[in-house]
Amino acid sequence: MMRTSLKAATIAAALLAGTATTYAQEELKIGAIGSLSGGGTAWGLALQRGVTLAIDEAVKAGGLKIGGKSYMPKLVMYDDQYTATGGKTAADRLVNLDKVKYIIGPIGSPPVLASVAVSSPAKVIQLSNGFAPAILKNDAKSPYNFRVMNSNTEFGPAMIKWLHTNYPAVKKVALIAPNDAVGQAVIPTLVEAYKANGIEVWTEMYDRGMKEFTPLLTRMMAQNVDLFDLNSNAPGEAGLLLKQARQAGYQKMIWQVGGPSVDEIINVAGPLADGFLSYETFDFSSPQAQAFDKAYHAKWDGIINAQAPGWYNAAKILFKALETAGSTDVTPVRDALMKVEGYDSGMYGPVIWGGQADYGVAHQLLLPFWIVEVKNGKSVIRDKLTPEKR
Amino acid sequence: MLSPIIIGQVIVNGLSLSAIYVLIALGFTLLFGIMRVVNFAHGAFAMLGGYALYYLYGKYALPYPLAVPLAALIVAVLSLVLETLVFRWFYQKMFQSMIGLLGLNMALMFSSVIIWDVYERSIPPAFNGVLRLGGLILAADRLMVIGIAIIALLAFWLFMTKTRYGVAMRATADDVEIAEAQGIDTRTIYRLAFLVAIFMTALAGGLYAQIYALSPFMGERPLIVAFVVVILGGMGSIPGAALGGVILGFTESILSTFYGAAVSSFVSFGVVIALLIFRPWGLLGKPE
Repeated sequence: MMRTSLKAATIAAALLAGTATTYAQEELKIGAIGSLSGGGTAWGLALQRGVTLAIDEAVKAGGLKIGGKSYMPKLVMYDDQYTATGGKTAADRLVNLDKVKYIIGPIGSPPVLASVAVSSPAKVIQLSNGFAPAILKNDAKSPYNFRVMNSNTEFGPAMIKWLHTNYPAVKKVALIAPNDAVGQAVIPTLVEAYKANGIEVWTEMYDRGMKEFTPLLTRMMAQNVDLFDLNSNAPGEAGLLLKQARQAGYQKMIWQVGGPSVDEIINVAGPLADGFLSYETFDFSSPQAQAFDKAYHAKWDGIINAQAPGWYNAAKILFKALETAGSTDVTPVRDALMKVEGYDSGMYGPVIWGGQADYGVAHQLLLPFWIVEVKNGKSVIRDKLTPEKR
Repeated sequence: MLSPIIIGQVIVNGLSLSAIYVLIALGFTLLFGIMRVVNFAHGAFAMLGGYALYYLYGKYALPYPLAVPLAALIVAVLSLVLETLVFRWFYQKMFQSMIGLLGLNMALMFSSVIIWDVYERSIPPAFNGVLRLGGLILAADRLMVIGIAIIALLAFWLFMTKTRYGVAMRATADDVEIAEAQGIDTRTIYRLAFLVAIFMTALAGGLYAQIYALSPFMGERPLIVAFVVVILGGMGSIPGAALGGVILGFTESILSTFYGAAVSSFVSFGVVIALLIFRPWGLLGKPE
């Protein structure tokens, strides 16, 4: 009896000790902004799920070990509706109400530019992804602001050079883009890159949210273009543009120097997507993708957007910087982020920061990327390219 | 740009767009014409029509000619609950209905987010082909929408002019008190008009979701289109909705093709503003 009581007391004490340890762990809020509604929804979900998987891993490992303490990361995310207003509101809430020190996201120049305008003065680290050069190249010199995926400044010239080498017959290209910060930032960069390869460019802008592109595509076809580039269009619009272009009788090449949103485009356009070429941020056939795929599908159904591994990678880099800094304070973490070059989260290879020549600050993560082609409803790797470190 | 093929294609595109716009606007204008309700939840009912078609045709593979009307009918019948709980309190109260139904729109939209997630889905196309007539090209699914729009308009016109219930609806729209004095049960007529209006909206929503994409937020565009078409044609006027749809469809086709999307949007909304200033009751509407 005595032995039983002693055993019970020991177990109770152990349980209490365990509980006490759990209470000793601190919660570490990780802010996130992404589109959870509208045309950029697939990207916002990719961000939410990629970061969630990285957090799950950290929690499973007993939390992040920072300066001798254990921190449990917790995701606090808001929808930006893929708009500047939404981006600013979300950043305001994260910075002022939730008091986060790190924000992952958003995606797309309008919400990124609007949210950076809130996070930078507040000295909050932000890891975002938008194509506008001004996200990094600004008067403040982006002290706490990093871009964790390639923008078209990184992958655009390399892709267009590849196009020129592999499809020399392409002499004229059409760009139909949304008439907002994304389109206005992306189009000049792409026009310059196409022209540098001797390719003439025809451009047209539309109001974001538009669903019926047939008249615009008729206008495009009258220009006798050899190639239609879906450029910076969000997955929903890109899919509709491709579908409606094929339905309007456009039979020449369609590709996207942007996105990526290959699976969503296949989903919207069905068999009409065959032959479509695109920028792709991740090789889903690689061995490292299998583990990610397994973890993802243990939680969610459906297709994995190619940005999801990129956001997982960004969260892992942030966690590594936090552990390297040994502090949750913003400045040491910012400095540690710059020192994690060579760290490999297992998805893309070692971390490389670039962008000094283009933006005046080396806060641009350089990731390898792929060119894929849709064949029989499946995305097939055509080539792997690497951005130049400048 | 001004080749015969391009001009032909502009006409074909204009017809296709007009058909979609007319279908979208019919339910909206009917609710206003008879009950004086500005249905700001119009887009949400269109979205529900999209999900109903997604399940009946996309998931359960019912034959398409059966799935399309059945999806709209299911949404319309289930919506009678909302008629009892929400809509009937706003009949003949135009301004109150705007705010009340805006709230209903949000409730339906975000309930759908909880149920179906925010992902855009696609309803499999009934027809995938492209028809070529000389140099002209017409997507088969657009041709189908033109056909359905013509049938819907014709059936609607026959119902309103040749049936007792249709005549009773028109009488109620003209003057509720006189209609009641003539022995018309206006409560039943209102419910019937609501059923028909939501049926038309859900039918249009199903086709819209199939041509474009389905998501809880897909209703925003149909609501704007319905507004523009109905303001052009005249609030509450069925022939006005048809005329407004055709005008908007052809304007968009011509201007977008020859001058680009920005000019098209600018002119379309410019015309609506001008109309609201100089003829606020629309082209075929009646002044209040």
